[in-house]
Amino acid sequence: MEENTTFDLLTGLALLTPLASFLLCLIISERYSWLVTITAPVLLLTSASISIYLFFTIPANTSYLIQLAWFHVGQYTFNGNVELNRLSILMMPLIAVISFLVHLYSVGYMAGDNGIRRYFAMLGFFTFSMLGIVLSDNLLMIFVFWELVGFTSYMLIGHWLEKPAAAKAAQKAFLFNRIGDAGFLVGLMIVWANTQNFDLSNLLHLPEIYSWQTAASLCIFCGVIGKSAQLPLFTWLPDAMEGPTPVSALIHAATMVAAGVFLLARVFPLFTPEALHTVAITGILTALVASLCALNQFDIKKILAYSTISQLGLMVTAVGVGSENAAMLQLVTHAFFKACLFLGAGSIIHSLHFAQQQACLSGRQVHEDFDVQDIRNLGGLRKKLPVTFFTFLIAGASLAGIPLFSGFISKDSIITGVWYWSSNTFSWRWLILISVFAVSLITVLYTFRMVWFIFFAKESRSNLSIVEAPWIMRIPLIVLALASVWFLVSLNPFSASGWFTTGVGDLQHSNLVTLLSSGVVLLALLATWFMYATENKFINSITFLQNSFGLDLLYEKVFGQSVIKLAAVAETTDRKWIDGFLHFTAYTQVSFAHVIAWFDTYVIDGSVNAMAWISGVVGSLTRSFQGGKIQLYIFWALVGLIIFLFFVLI
Amino acid sequence: MFPAEHILYLSALLFSVGLMIIIIKQNAIMVLLGIELLLNAANLNLVTFNQLQAQSFTGQMFTLFVIVVAVSEAAVGLAIVLRVYKHYQTSVLSEINELKE
Repeated sequence: MEENTTFDLLTGLALLTPLASFLLCLIISERYSWLVTITAPVLLLTSASISIYLFFTIPANTSYLIQLAWFHVGQYTFNGNVELNRLSILMMPLIAVISFLVHLYSVGYMAGDNGIRRYFAMLGFFTFSMLGIVLSDNLLMIFVFWELVGFTSYMLIGHWLEKPAAAKAAQKAFLFNRIGDAGFLVGLMIVWANTQNFDLSNLLHLPEIYSWQTAASLCIFCGVIGKSAQLPLFTWLPDAMEGPTPVSALIHAATMVAAGVFLLARVFPLFTPEALHTVAITGILTALVASLCALNQFDIKKILAYSTISQLGLMVTAVGVGSENAAMLQLVTHAFFKACLFLGAGSIIHSLHFAQQQACLSGRQVHEDFDVQDIRNLGGLRKKLPVTFFTFLIAGASLAGIPLFSGFISKDSIITGVWYWSSNTFSWRWLILISVFAVSLITVLYTFRMVWFIFFAKESRSNLSIVEAPWIMRIPLIVLALASVWFLVSLNPFSASGWFTTGVGDLQHSNLVTLLSSGVVLLALLATWFMYATENKFINSITFLQNSFGLDLLYEKVFGQSVIKLAAVAETTDRKWIDGFLHFTAYTQVSFAHVIAWFDTYVIDGSVNAMAWISGVVGSLTRSFQGGKIQLYIFWALVGLIIFLFFVLI
Repeated sequence: MFPAEHILYLSALLFSVGLMIIIIKQNAIMVLLGIELLLNAANLNLVTFNQLQAQSFTGQMFTLFVIVVAVSEAAVGLAIVLRVYKHYQTSVLSEINELKE
């Protein structure tokens, strides 16, 4: 019992320290903004250490609930319960550690930035919201944190808001997330309407499968599509690369986009087989499309973004085929190696920018204002940036799924899952299996292409004096690279069964699949070696694929323009008909009011005035008999006399 | 000798003119003048009706008496008008209305 209260306390502390960091960033004044670079990483370190401690102390496969009543509406009680189960215990250290490393990295990367307080505040707030999603037991709470995560993502993508592209990308990300979240909200309503309950601890143990579950789970999946950048709504993620690179690492590679996959795994028991089929198909299509796009990009961050989408697609597929544990494993390994890749890319960008600035300052009139993110402009960096090179290589190998790296094990477990799901008899499920193999092949291709052109290809910028980024940026790289090697996941580099996987849950294993997938990867490596390393001409790309299958153009054409047209029509209707009707009504009213006013002035007021006038006239008439005028008296007396005589005499 | 009706017509005219002057004229002196006309119309009547009894002179005597009274009355009236004029700086009747209130 006493142990439980310490757990409560520690969980609360781990959740609230990032929030404290956020609040501190708000409180500290602009003059002392350098303080932020100390407080934020320290607080995040606290959170990370607590999370790791919890991860190791709480026994696996236990879940426990911290009861918190949130509010009451009528007879219903909403609980803000916090649940510590194997998923949340796994996700907590993942988020906190990567967030801490990104904080550390940002201290170097963002040094001298004007909005550094806002930046660290939002990073802290993001970590808090993400931990909130992971820990909440209530779907409504998850939705609230989900929205907060979307908001912080918006703020951080648009961090350099003076750049129009960044502002536009932030808007786009927010809009696309909203579309998905609308679906999520509808899903919540369906769940509420049928169960009057949002507590996952109850929802996940329904006695039987109801028909509404398909609709509800598909609607929740809509939210996942938005947040995890799945097929119809994935184009926001490449654009989100306008944000600072550490943000891309933390949010748009490691954690936020993984929130969707986490949610899928969290509410997995709610999904019906039909819904799962949709999930699997969406996932595999996304993975295929995005990996093809990644193969045709030139911008490092764009390549990484598309590769993220493709990996997320694989995770979603894994959930769809029912091996959500494999998805979670892939989520964890992907978080580490993709964060490492992004931070490595950031390090390259940082170093080259620095070199460009130095060249500019030294006054050498060389054309060094090239785009440092374009891999065609890079090359031969392996000698100049050794730490970045090695960490990037390790993480890249992990991404490509080369044996002995963590990515291999997780990808292997996904393929195994699909393998068992597709069964022995031929069906459409085999298509998905083949696609998964194809995706892992293409992954090798684009990873190799990227690494080759950044680090190996002929050096094109030899006259720049490029130096490695500061140590505070190298340490996170090294830590993340170490976490991308196989021993993080399991002691056996070919089979996912180790201390770590107890947190993930049971996984299937098949030696045949392991052999097959390593064969595919090695084959792909050989192929790419001959494609890229021997000659450089394969670097050209297909524009159609570079622009993500023209989806953006399609959205622009179909939705953008139709919305604009609709808006124009609505505007005309509004101005002509609604306003016209209003104006007509107003005009009628005013005219009627004029009539009433006329009636009031001339008839009602007139009659009153007439009465007054008559009484006035009568009054002055009667008064005039006694006006003090002596001659008038005589006159009236005479008149009276004449009348008298008239009657008397005649 | 004029026939009696002609003189009575004249007297009636004179009386009417006097009455008109009294009512219409603004100035107090003119009003006094109108009063003289009334008296003279009455005098004419007295003289005319005296013709019915040619042997008596009552009418003429009465007329003479009226003339004397009229003179004294005019003297008193003019004196009052003079005082009024001194007091009010006007002899217009409609402006002398202090008694009204």
